[in-house]
Amino acid sequence: MIPSIEILIPKNLNEVLGILSNQDKNFKIIAGGTDVVTGLKQESNRFINTEVLVDINRIAEVKGIEKRNGKISIGAASTFTEIYTNPIVSSELPILKKAVATIGSLQIRNRATIAGNFVNNAPCADTVTALLVYNATIEIESTNSKREISLQEFLQGPYKTQLKKDEIVTRINIPVPPKTFVGDFYKLGRRQAVAISRITFAVLMELNGNKINEIKIAAGAVTPIGTRFPELEKYAAGKEANNDFIKSLASKLGEEIIKLTGLRWSSEYKLPVVQQMFYQMLKRITKK
Amino acid sequence: MINLKFILNGKEVTVETEPSIRLLDLLRDKFNLTGTKEGCGVGECGACTVLMNGKAVNSCLILAAQIEGNEIVTIEGITNGNELHPIQKKFLKYGAVQCGFCSPAMVLSAFALLKENPNPTEEEIKDAIAGNLCRCTGYKQIIEAINESAKELTSH
Repeated sequence: MIPSIEILIPKNLNEVLGILSNQDKNFKIIAGGTDVVTGLKQESNRFINTEVLVDINRIAEVKGIEKRNGKISIGAASTFTEIYTNPIVSSELPILKKAVATIGSLQIRNRATIAGNFVNNAPCADTVTALLVYNATIEIESTNSKREISLQEFLQGPYKTQLKKDEIVTRINIPVPPKTFVGDFYKLGRRQAVAISRITFAVLMELNGNKINEIKIAAGAVTPIGTRFPELEKYAAGKEANNDFIKSLASKLGEEIIKLTGLRWSSEYKLPVVQQMFYQMLKRITKK
Repeated sequence: MINLKFILNGKEVTVETEPSIRLLDLLRDKFNLTGTKEGCGVGECGACTVLMNGKAVNSCLILAAQIEGNEIVTIEGITNGNELHPIQKKFLKYGAVQCGFCSPAMVLSAFALLKENPNPTEEEIKDAIAGNLCRCTGYKQIIEAINESAKELTSH
């Protein structure tokens, strides 16, 4: 049973900010509801004290995808279907598009939103790794503040972010990656559709001939939250992307992940899978 | 309680309801539209699929207040009086209905697909129904029925 809760349907961003500035009540923002409604139904601790839901589906300021000042600006309440079918995303952000395609089912993608994915910040949030390699920043507003920070900084821990009670994420901004960058997204779930990811990887890299100029690596689901690997990225920069090197890089990624999670009962199985799948992915990208 | 106004199967309706009941319960309990089924209740099985502004959605994940002013179509809304929709006829002809529990939602997913993409490939059909679990009929007959529906609907 969903508890009896008041639902507000504001018409513009100012109205939303005004509602959120009232600190006497426990508000939750709802857009697609794919996490909120299931959370309420399952009496999850994160939703149990919710008194009022604020529906943001009619707020123009958090919708739409457009180019602004050399960046691609995605409205926080853009659905995954809107992102998947958007021509700018298709031509400029193929890794994000691929990540979006792996989410849930069409019914879920028709409702679930991009900000919902990382504000909920489950370890397995499918789009987080893609957004991290694209160096996404997010705009956050309240009645008396407006800030823009990197997504990486925003994400604090499993199901934890920097978002304050009176704030809302309004937009996700992604610098247009130069055409010289190539990359890929990989997801492993228990089945193809409607699957919670067990592993996600995203890679964005620039090759100069066979040499790696720059590489950005992110993993999710096998880490507490979606995570970049700056030391590994530094280590790989300037190296020849030959078979031995990408194998060693994949092997190192596995070790880094174990450092983050500690040894678990599943490590014996997961470590070689992580290393092998990452190796295969790098092979595909570098066409080895 | 709120007074909710929306378009249901082509007609404007007003209903007094708790704002936070699920669209699924609103349809079944207030409008007696029991073609919309509850399976898992958490958005994984798709048995509660309805169309919202033409798009397939899980009615178990939408709360009543959220549909104010929107257009909802249920399986009862695609028939022509007592005559089945062509997709429904193909489901019968190609043996795509066994227990029938997933069928209304499956038909609606097919309906939404063919509206947007009248000539889908088999992969596109599979993607459109990937969120609709069927546990007894098997997907082969369902995919065939949707494919045959596409042929018939585009031949007119």
